[in-house]
Amino acid sequence: MLSERDKKGRFEWKGLFTFRGGISRPMELSLAVASFTILLVFWIALAESGLIREAYLPSPIRVAIAMYTLFAEFNFIKDVYISILRVMIAFTIAALMAIPLGILMNTYRIIGATHEPVMDLIRYLPVPALVPLTVIWLGIGETSKIALLWMGTFFQLVLLIADAARRVPGEYVEICYTLGAKTRHVLRWIILPAMAPTMVDNLRITLGWCWSYVIIAEIVAANEGIGHVIWISRRFGKMPEVMAGVLAIGFIGLASDQLIRYFHRRAFRYLE
Amino acid sequence: MAFYDHFLQIDHLSKWFATEHGKEPIHVIDDVSMTIEGGDFVVFVGPSGCGKTTLMRIVAGLETTSEGRIVLEGEEVKGPDRKKGVVFQSYSSFPWLTVFENARFGLKFRDDVTKNEKDGIARHYLELVGLAGFEDFYVNRISGGMRQRLAIARTLAAGPDILLMDEPFGALDAQNREFLQVQLLEIRAKERKTIIFVTHDVEEAIFLAERIFVFSARPAKIIEEITVSDHLVREASLELKETEAFFKLRNHLMAVCRAQAQRTEAMIMSPNAAR
Ligand SMILES: Nc1ncnc2c1ncn2[C@@H]1O[C@H](COP(=O)(O)OP(=O)(O)O)[C@@H](O)[C@H]1O
Ligand SMILES: [Mg+2]
Repeated sequence: MLSERDKKGRFEWKGLFTFRGGISRPMELSLAVASFTILLVFWIALAESGLIREAYLPSPIRVAIAMYTLFAEFNFIKDVYISILRVMIAFTIAALMAIPLGILMNTYRIIGATHEPVMDLIRYLPVPALVPLTVIWLGIGETSKIALLWMGTFFQLVLLIADAARRVPGEYVEICYTLGAKTRHVLRWIILPAMAPTMVDNLRITLGWCWSYVIIAEIVAANEGIGHVIWISRRFGKMPEVMAGVLAIGFIGLASDQLIRYFHRRAFRYLE
Repeated sequence: MAFYDHFLQIDHLSKWFATEHGKEPIHVIDDVSMTIEGGDFVVFVGPSGCGKTTLMRIVAGLETTSEGRIVLEGEEVKGPDRKKGVVFQSYSSFPWLTVFENARFGLKFRDDVTKNEKDGIARHYLELVGLAGFEDFYVNRISGGMRQRLAIARTLAAGPDILLMDEPFGALDAQNREFLQVQLLEIRAKERKTIIFVTHDVEEAIFLAERIFVFSARPAKIIEEITVSDHLVREASLELKETEAFFKLRNHLMAVCRAQAQRTEAMIMSPNAAR
């Protein structure tokens, strides 16, 4: 293990090859950059070598140009905005419902025993297979897309939240009761703070899934959104644009993930 | 003033735990009766798994009785409340709060005390357990011994009538454990709280207790009750552990506990013999 001082140090090779050894922050960052660079170089080499046709694997430079053109000439920012909006709305609704329900499922047996089996079944229904259902029930408007994203995240999230609540040590709850607390106090002052780090992790992971579902929702009868751009570009055989769209999703997903990780580190300092 | 005969009365208490459907329930406590007076320091000893924790949890109101009842200050115990403070061996304090916030948490659900008074009381008890200066530390930054002292501070801050401690020093190393034993006696000298302390460590029991209840292997029955001052002069100093009287009492209790532990093992080896 590296000491606190070593962790802050600049580049520390020691420990990199030790089982579960430590790693310094700058070293971690440079290794991440290195991986991306190697990946990029490999991609360029493969594309430029002519081994694979342009229509299958355009070079990253062509993709970058396509990305630029999308933004500069096709108002791609609006599609990005629409996709983000859809994810945010669906995810917020899912989270606002899943957090209280998940906690209550763990608090009152009756709620848990009635809801858990149903949720467990629904969450195994593959989201793409639900598309025809949402289209028939809700048409092809925004509601239908939001509903699909919601279905993809809510049922997963509620079970993860219930599990996080279940993992709160019983001792904390009991201590709280012996200090004169009522059930609502226990929920507010014990369950919620004790499960918060796990809950934020759960939210981060399900948000990632939500980003893959938005593409599925947008491929079916949408007029805007990143998924729509990817699908239209494919129809016209514009491979660089397809990849630019896919990468855009990747970047946004990575950014939101990192943002939540950052919040996690800041909010739960006590875990360090 | 008090209108009851005894501070705490455990009255023909028995406990069975239901197990899987169709299987026989586990008999954990077998007709235990005792009375405890205000200010007593009572220690429960007995082999692991005999039912000490269960008995303490029933007194705390965290577990129900199967038969019999518990009466605290003239009122039957129905559930947990602020009268009965508990200190557990692990998860004894909240990691998301600082040391100060943990101590103050003991007063969180009282509306008869002002905010300023709560701060003052929390500070007072942190000082009492020797944690002054660590107010802003998070729990995972302080040692195991300090965490247990913090749990004691929080519990005392809540102003309980009785303090229930379940092997609170069980996870500490020998030095820390002895240090906390002395400190607990010192704290009690100032606070005069009634304490029930559960342990399987015979020396700890003799050092701390005014009265020791020795329990049999499961189901727990009282097999011996010892008033420590009949055997030695109690003092809050580790030198007591070197005295002849301490030794004699320790050897006696060890022998009793060992016999019970063997019974437990015999029970595990042949489950039918337990019936
Ligand atoms: N909630 C429970 N359900 C079923 N059995 C339990 C429960 N709690 C304790 N027991 C059983 O009761 C017995 C006594 O446990 P416990 O009171 O923890 O003993 P001790 O504290 O003396 O080691 C053990 O055999 C244990 O497995
Ligand atoms: Mg125990």
